[in-house]
Amino acid sequence: MKRALLTGGSNGLGRALADLLLQRGYQVVSVDRSGGAAQPAMLHVTCDLADRHAVDRTLPAILAAGPYELAIFNAGASATGRFEDIPLDACLRLLAVNAETPLVFATALMQAGAVERHLCFISSLSHFTGYPGAAVYAASKDVVAAYAKGVRKPFAAHGVSVTLACPGPIRTAQAERHAPPGADAARRMPPEQAARAILDATLGHRRLVIPGAGPKLFALAGWLFPAFVTRQMKRLIFDRLDEAVW
Amino acid sequence: MRSRLLITGATAGIGLAMARRRAAGADLLLTGRQEHAAVRDRLPPGAAYVAADQSSPEAAAGAVRGALDRLGWDRLDLAVLNAGAGHALDPATESAQSIRVTLDVNLAAAIALAQTLLPFLENASGKLVLVGSTAHRGAPGFASYAASKAGLDGLARALREEWRGRVAVQIVHPGPTATGMHEKAGHDPGPIGRMFARPETTAARIEAAIASGRSPVTIPFARYAAADSLTTWMKR
Repeated sequence: MKRALLTGGSNGLGRALADLLLQRGYQVVSVDRSGGAAQPAMLHVTCDLADRHAVDRTLPAILAAGPYELAIFNAGASATGRFEDIPLDACLRLLAVNAETPLVFATALMQAGAVERHLCFISSLSHFTGYPGAAVYAASKDVVAAYAKGVRKPFAAHGVSVTLACPGPIRTAQAERHAPPGADAARRMPPEQAARAILDATLGHRRLVIPGAGPKLFALAGWLFPAFVTRQMKRLIFDRLDEAVW
Repeated sequence: MRSRLLITGATAGIGLAMARRRAAGADLLLTGRQEHAAVRDRLPPGAAYVAADQSSPEAAAGAVRGALDRLGWDRLDLAVLNAGAGHALDPATESAQSIRVTLDVNLAAAIALAQTLLPFLENASGKLVLVGSTAHRGAPGFASYAASKAGLDGLARALREEWRGRVAVQIVHPGPTATGMHEKAGHDPGPIGRMFARPETTAARIEAAIASGRSPVTIPFARYAAADSLTTWMKR
C-alpha cells in the first residue's frame, strides 16, 4: 500500500490533504501536536513540532513507519501583530515549527532513504511579497521556500522531487484567529481546493504551486513590484491588526 | 555627538572590515563568539566588545543588552547584524545539529537582537541593517545557509514596513567574499576563490548600500570581483 507522511494533518489544510490522500488510497502517517479523528489507514503520531527534543525522540518511529512515497511538510503556526509585541519565546517556537523542523525531517528522511519519490514544502504567498504584521512567520516561510529551491537538484539526484507550495489565505480556524477584524472569510480558499492543487503538483514533480488564480496574480504582482505590494499588505493587514496573537 | 554603532560578528571578515572603516568616526560595540582577550589585538583600538554566541539566540541578545547597559548607551544610530555561519555540504547528508545551528546563528539570533535593539534604535531614529547573502534565493551546495539568509530577507521586508518612520530597516546581500568563512564552512571554492572580493571591498560596498537607504540591495559578484582583480593586477 502506498504510504504518505504528513505533518499537521489534524486541522485545516493538513486535514484536507489527509482526506484527499486517504481517498486516493494512501496510508497516511500524520504527525501533529494534537491527535485527530481515528480513521482506518491513518496513523496519528503526537509530537510537539516546536520542541527539538520531542522531534528527535519521535523521528526514529516516523522513519521506521516508512518508507513513504511522499512527504508533505504542512504543519505551521502563525504569530500576528507588531514584531516587538510578540514574545521572543513564541517567535522561536514559530521558527522551529515552520522552518527548522521541516528541514530536519527532510534530511532525516533522505538519509534514511525513507522517502521514495516526492517531498512538498508548504510555504506561503508571502514569499512573493512581504508580510508586515507577521514578520517572523514571513521569515520562517522564506526559509522553507529557499530551502525547497536549493535542494531540488541535489534531492533529484536521489530520485526525489521537491515541490514548493505557496498558498494564499485558506479558510481555516488558524487563518480566522490571525486575520484582522472584519476580514472576509469568504475570500479565503477552501482547504479542499488548495489540497488538490498541492497534491497534484507534488505528484506531478512540479517545482512550484500557487493554488488559485487570485493568489497567482498576487504573486506575479509581488514579483514585479515587491515594495509596492508589501506596502499594500501593510495597509490591508498590519494597520488593521488590533492586537498581537500568537 | 559621535554616532554609536553595533556590529555583530566583527572579529573577522566583513564585520571586522566594517568596524575598522568606522572606528575613527564613531563609538563601536562589537560582538563575536570568542572571549575579548582572544580577539583584542585585532579589533580597532577603543572599540567596546562583548562575547555573544548566536547559537544561543536569547543569551546572545541578553549579552548585547548587558553590554549596552554597562556602556550607558541608551541609543544606537546603526546596528549591523552581520554575524553568520554555515556549512557547505550535500543537503541530503546534513545533520539536524547543523541545520539548527545555522538557523539559530543567522536568523533566530537576528530576531532576538532586533527585538532587543528596537528601543535603542528608536531613541536615535537609527537604522537596522541585516547582512544577507546573494545565496538567499536558494543554493544546492549550502541549502540551509541560503534558507536562513532568505529568512532574514523576509524579516527585513516585513520590518521595513512595520517600523517605517521609526527605525529604518535595510537588507544587503553581498556576494562571495574571501573572509575565511568558506574554510570554516568546509567549502573549497577552488580557483574561483581567487576572484572573491576582499572583505574591505565588500565592507565598502555595504556602506554604500546603507548610505543609499534602499532595500534590498544585492551586491553583484561580477562587478566588484572584476574591480578587485583589476586592482590586484595593477599593483603587480
